[in-house]
Amino acid sequence: MKKIAKEKLALLWELLAHKATLYFPLQEDGAVNFAPWKNGAQVDFGVNSIVPPKNVFFPQAETYLRFKTGAKRLQLESVEPEEKFILFGVRPCDLASFNILDKIFLEEPTDGLYAKRRRLGTLVSMGCNEPGETCFCTSFALEPAFAPGADVMVWDMGEFLLWEPRSTKGEALTAVINELLDEAAPEETAAAVRLRDTTAAGEAAAARQRGWNTEGLQEALRGKFNDELWEKLYHRCLGCGICTYLCPTCHCFDIQDFSRDLEGERFSCWDSCMFAEFTLMTSGENPRPTQKERVRQRFLHKLLYFPSKFGLYACVGCGRCVRKCPVHLDITQVIKEAGGVVSGS
Amino acid sequence: MKQLSEILKEVAFGSLSSGEAEMVIGWQKGPFWWQSFPAFITDPGGTGSLIWDPFSVSNLSKYLLKEVPEKKIALFLKGCDALGFNQMLRDGRVDREKVLLFGIPCDGLVDPARVEAAGLSKGLLQVKKEQEELIFYYKKGQRKAPARDFYYAKCLSCRYPNPVIYDQMLGEAVPCQPVERFADVSKLETTPLEERFSYWSRHFSRCIRCFACRNVCPACSCRECIFDLAEPRWLGKANELSETQFYHITRAYHVAGRCVDCGECARICPVGIPLAELNRKFIKDINELYGEYDAGADLDKEAPLLTFKTDDPDVSSGS
Amino acid sequence: MPVNLKLQSFEPLIIAFCCNWCSYAGGDLAGTSRMTYPANVRVIRVPCSSRVSSNFILRAFQRGADGVVVAGCHPGDCHYTSGNYFARRRFLLLQRFLEFLGMEPERFQVHWISASEGNRFAAVMTETTDKIRALGPNRKLRDTR
Ligand code: SF4
Ligand code: SF4
Ligand code: SF4
Ligand code: SF4
Ligand code: SF4
Ligand code: FES
Repeated sequence: MKKIAKEKLALLWELLAHKATLYFPLQEDGAVNFAPWKNGAQVDFGVNSIVPPKNVFFPQAETYLRFKTGAKRLQLESVEPEEKFILFGVRPCDLASFNILDKIFLEEPTDGLYAKRRRLGTLVSMGCNEPGETCFCTSFALEPAFAPGADVMVWDMGEFLLWEPRSTKGEALTAVINELLDEAAPEETAAAVRLRDTTAAGEAAAARQRGWNTEGLQEALRGKFNDELWEKLYHRCLGCGICTYLCPTCHCFDIQDFSRDLEGERFSCWDSCMFAEFTLMTSGENPRPTQKERVRQRFLHKLLYFPSKFGLYACVGCGRCVRKCPVHLDITQVIKEAGGVVSGS
Repeated sequence: MKQLSEILKEVAFGSLSSGEAEMVIGWQKGPFWWQSFPAFITDPGGTGSLIWDPFSVSNLSKYLLKEVPEKKIALFLKGCDALGFNQMLRDGRVDREKVLLFGIPCDGLVDPARVEAAGLSKGLLQVKKEQEELIFYYKKGQRKAPARDFYYAKCLSCRYPNPVIYDQMLGEAVPCQPVERFADVSKLETTPLEERFSYWSRHFSRCIRCFACRNVCPACSCRECIFDLAEPRWLGKANELSETQFYHITRAYHVAGRCVDCGECARICPVGIPLAELNRKFIKDINELYGEYDAGADLDKEAPLLTFKTDDPDVSSGS
Repeated sequence: MPVNLKLQSFEPLIIAFCCNWCSYAGGDLAGTSRMTYPANVRVIRVPCSSRVSSNFILRAFQRGADGVVVAGCHPGDCHYTSGNYFARRRFLLLQRFLEFLGMEPERFQVHWISASEGNRFAAVMTETTDKIRALGPNRKLRDTR
């Protein structure tokens, strides 16, 4: 394992930025979001980003086709990402969300743009030393301070960052910055292992205290389609896009055209099952006529349909919906109410 | 004197058990200290779960657009909520006969972000208010701090803490000591044009177009919203600054003269866009150009954009 | 092409929403009296100045207008009695709001031009075009696609 002293970080950013576009959690007007780093930008690892880093692979809107008519025939030109990038400081929960997005976008039919971005990107994950009060990644068998899918794993050890390459991409990146890295002493490496263990144990203890987890949840939700639960929950929902747009695993999108004169482009863009128009048909029929069906869809999709199909829950416990839903209609309440097995019982 | 939270449960129980109302909208508590959210109760037995605490900030009257009762809905209104309710009434979107309003004098509610910023949130279990102080409860021990230091920005500039409309008031009127609400607007007005443009571009670029600011707004009560229309599609779904500008200009302009300055939009914006400054620019200009007008409060005055004077100031030709 | 050269040859695009009863007729009169006004101005006829919604104005800017003019009957002369009085309030607020967001106020103008003021129509359009030409291309609300 390697390490880098904190005072060398500025150099590290510069070096990396030369190599590829460097996405960081940057603070602007008090809001932390992933954005390309520029000199002078304010890097903030203190809190997780408001918008999840999914937008780096699956942007809110993305043009994939340009068209032109007027000449003899329609001319089409496809647009593809070319840029290499490094996504630095992704939390383990968000990193796990990429597995979930992969199921959607990498299985047949593959989303070529997403696939290409996945190839172009190098993922540097930073372990969480101290899970936040709304974090519940451990409920989904994730570890706060370790991300299995990362190309490089880093830990903040106070004076320095521990740096562990974990894939060929990660090795390649490490080679570029080798001059800035030192070899970590065995006791320092051991400290990282301890950190992993204590945060995981701490989070698990917190989960026990919360009194719920996701064991058996899928079974519990089967047959709950017409349950009173949804009637009870939905009234307060404002039907906004906060929970879905801020959820790292939500992946619904729409396709739209933009055109002017004889040319234009076709793009995909985020959409949300919480919007009334999401299922509105041309005929005027809406199979999810009220917010009740929409709320039910959001939760059953994450906790029942997705796991039935792909074998894993479509929630990573990042807690964004817990923090940001203006009326506190978040997934933990559903898990609890729907009767995931209460731990310790 | 009885605690307000107790009185609130009592009147909720009373209105349901007497059959006067078929539903009560109040607030309930979630597992976290900062989670208080709208609750919809139809069974008198359920009214015991209702609460009133420093986080009961959601405006309950907006739900009247969706919940259509046969009898009446009983709900609680704080000062700002009452203004919003009045505006919905004025816009013809609610039926006064179908509601039973319990007014709650409210001198301010607590912004969880300020508690966090003060470093008080770790291990925090509960926050209570006693007179002018907040008491923070932890597993071991408690701490006290002046309540006003933690209030939402919208509460600090609140001018109507005591509901202006109600059927029954549930407490003593509270004093009102608002800070000047146009200070930010005035400051922006004097910054150079280009600086102002980049200020707003920076903020608008963060907007994720979740429409929460619209959905929460008591002045946004159109049955069909222009932003949702597929044909004509005025607002596209691209991540394009000009579209976000279109959204923000149009949203603020559509509520101009009707925005009650309840501050809900700015409060719930997940990315912290200072929407109040947009709304207040219109309010300030309306006040300056057409005379003071408080939407939601000045019911005897004509709405400024639904009327005119022949000697109104002219639109300058922009030079 | 060097930038300054490009700017020198910059010709603004101006969209003018003209009310059918006064300003559009004023424009007609300017035409029939062989007065000239810049070809930069594209006139769109509307029933009344109060028909112009902010959507039209914003869309014009999005799709490439460098300036937008709303022209209607003089206050007091609106064919629908009071449309322009309402419009006057609304557009003054909009103009000040756009300026608050960082847009040059000259880019959105409102003028009252009667059916008999062909000369005024030509003068207003000429003056507006000059002002906006001097400001250069508008990028502030423009759709970049
Ligand atoms: S849920 Fe919280 S603790 Fe777990 S990985 Fe995400 S940010 Fe870290
Ligand atoms: S659950 Fe919350 S965040 Fe999601 S749509 Fe409803 S109100 Fe918005
Ligand atoms: S459902 Fe909520 S907690 Fe789960 S991944 Fe989405 S935002 Fe995070
Ligand atoms: S609430 Fe904020 S992010 Fe959402 S649409 Fe409104 S301004 Fe944009
Ligand atoms: S625009 Fe904002 S401040 Fe004004 S009434 Fe609507 S929610 Fe309240
Ligand atoms: S008809 Fe000309 S302004 Fe109303």
